[in-house]
Amino acid sequence: MRPESPSEAAIRDWCVGYLARTLDLPEEQIRPDVKFGRLGLDSANSVYLIVELEEWLGLELAPDLLFEHPTILDLARYLAGRAAGETGVG
Amino acid sequence: MLDISQGARRVKQASDKPPRPSDAVTGVEFTSFVDVLRHRAVEQPNDWAYIFLPDRGGERLTLTFAQLHARACAVAQTLVVRGQRGDRAVLLFPPGLDFIVAFFGCLLTGTIAVPIMVPRRDSSRDASAAILADCTPRFAMTRRDFVTNARPDVAERFRDDALDWLFVDALPAGLGEPECTLPFPMPGDVAFLQYTSGSTSAPKGVIVSHGNLVNNSEMIRIAFGNTRNSTHVSWVPLYHDMGLILNVLQSLYLGTLCVLMAPVRFLQRPLSWLRAIHDYRAEVAGGPNFAFDLCARRHRAEEMGEIDLSCWRVAFNGAEPVRANTIERFAETFAPYGFNPKSTHPAYGMAEATLMISGGQRGAGPVLRRVSRDALQRHQVIAPLRAEDSQILVGCGRQLCGERVAVVEPESRRRLPPGLIGEIWVAGPNVAQGYWCNSSATESVFRGQVAGGGTERWLRTGDLGFLDEGGELFITGRIKDVIVIRGMNHYPQDIEETVQDCDPALRRHGGAAFGVLDRNDEEQLVVVQEVERTYRQRIAESEMVHSVREAIARDHDIAAQEIILIRPGTLPKTTSGKIQRHLARQMFLAGTLAVAE
Repeated sequence: MRPESPSEAAIRDWCVGYLARTLDLPEEQIRPDVKFGRLGLDSANSVYLIVELEEWLGLELAPDLLFEHPTILDLARYLAGRAAGETGVG
Repeated sequence: MLDISQGARRVKQASDKPPRPSDAVTGVEFTSFVDVLRHRAVEQPNDWAYIFLPDRGGERLTLTFAQLHARACAVAQTLVVRGQRGDRAVLLFPPGLDFIVAFFGCLLTGTIAVPIMVPRRDSSRDASAAILADCTPRFAMTRRDFVTNARPDVAERFRDDALDWLFVDALPAGLGEPECTLPFPMPGDVAFLQYTSGSTSAPKGVIVSHGNLVNNSEMIRIAFGNTRNSTHVSWVPLYHDMGLILNVLQSLYLGTLCVLMAPVRFLQRPLSWLRAIHDYRAEVAGGPNFAFDLCARRHRAEEMGEIDLSCWRVAFNGAEPVRANTIERFAETFAPYGFNPKSTHPAYGMAEATLMISGGQRGAGPVLRRVSRDALQRHQVIAPLRAEDSQILVGCGRQLCGERVAVVEPESRRRLPPGLIGEIWVAGPNVAQGYWCNSSATESVFRGQVAGGGTERWLRTGDLGFLDEGGELFITGRIKDVIVIRGMNHYPQDIEETVQDCDPALRRHGGAAFGVLDRNDEEQLVVVQEVERTYRQRIAESEMVHSVREAIARDHDIAAQEIILIRPGTLPKTTSGKIQRHLARQMFLAGTLAVAE
């Protein structure tokens, strides 16, 4: 349904904004190359992040996604690939 | 909108007669859950006892009462060969039905089950090591594929504990009960240990007897008005007493079905819980307050489809403070789908009382009371003087059948009349036997004596509250230092130690961890920590705070709301050097901490 899927950069920015709001931290403290654990994300917040991403991107994601892709950079790269693959036409 | 009654609701007092655990249909009396299991296996062999709903794409698992009995017997066969009565067995299971099989295998043989949470992969300071040291188990029970494929780190972690691993999924199907004579559990015999109390370093295992289990099950049945038609749907983990006793054991006690799902599935898709309630026409389903918040927040009209919640009669809410705005928002959100606001069923309890201490009556709805927020801070209950001083308290129901709840002034140990706040004390057949191998903690918590009240012994809950004229119990605070997040207890001293291990600049014995309410009235963690002058540099400080956040998430699975570094020597302490967490919290709220610049 989506005319074009979000770019890697857009997903990255979205994650930074989302985590800044969730963790009540300034955006400049959410560095995309820092591991999620380092940001103090607990397991419930990890699940909520995945759910928000699923809703936004229209993808089904694994519960241990952040374990496989432990930084915002890794995650955005992976998700951009998935989003392009699953919504692209031909 | 829900009714707010300013005064007390007059309902007839719970019976003073002791509960009589029995099957409500046949009248057969139950001395223990071994009786219950055998009775169900004979009376309703082919009825479903449990269904586990899989994650996406998985297979639905089922157990009938006869299958549960047969599989528990297979576990019992192995236990009687490899161990002896009174041995402890830690239960370490992924979500599913094997936990239940293992638990009943233990009950059948007099093996003392010790449910524990599976440690997180990367945690270094979880409670499991100290629990094992405390209860010295012979057995560790789990699924073979869980420790060989999914989580090999679990077996590795306990390598030095000389545990006898028992894989309940890899046992031959049972051929009835073992040939040898199984013990016949007496009411005073130990059924299992519940480790939800005490700090990570000094955990306390509550000794729950067979008598405690059947009595509290009967007390819950009466309060909830449950019958054989009261299907349950639960996502609460089984190592949590609410998951085990209020769902898995209560449904077996009734002879009804309990539908289970993995906790993570609920967190991801809270509406799948509501869908299961609809699908199975469940009467009873509940969880901690945050679960109701999560459902309301995640409600999407387009995902609700045909869901009809009119079957849901007891939406119990317990294990963390019950918030008026949560139950109101939940009721408003889901009333269009048939949810009856009067099904909201606040309850109060703790492992030391087996599980449940107070609860309402089925269909009565919550009792709300508007009080002065200012006065409540001073532990007084009066009507609000101004609108902005108003706070709504949610009643947690009344004492259960055969139990007594008293409010006691903790210093003088005198009973307080209705309307006055004091410590909540409990006496009854649900009060557990004490803490495992810890006579001093048992003495101080389980052996309270009311001044002028004779020799009777009471459980001191460490919670503060008051009773109204009608006997409704309101919880208003805590004496004990514990932080409750998403229904799990966390102990400040554990978190403070984790923080101080992060960096040598963070002073030992110079921190205070406490809970504060966020704008949604949910409890959040705040840590105040002294930092040495010599290390104080701006850049290092933000790195230090990150390290602290990381360690707290890793070892305690909490996202800290705020970490505040303060000047050395400014944390409030008593003259004897005891950390004054309550005062630190007040200073945090008032903004008067000496923040390190």
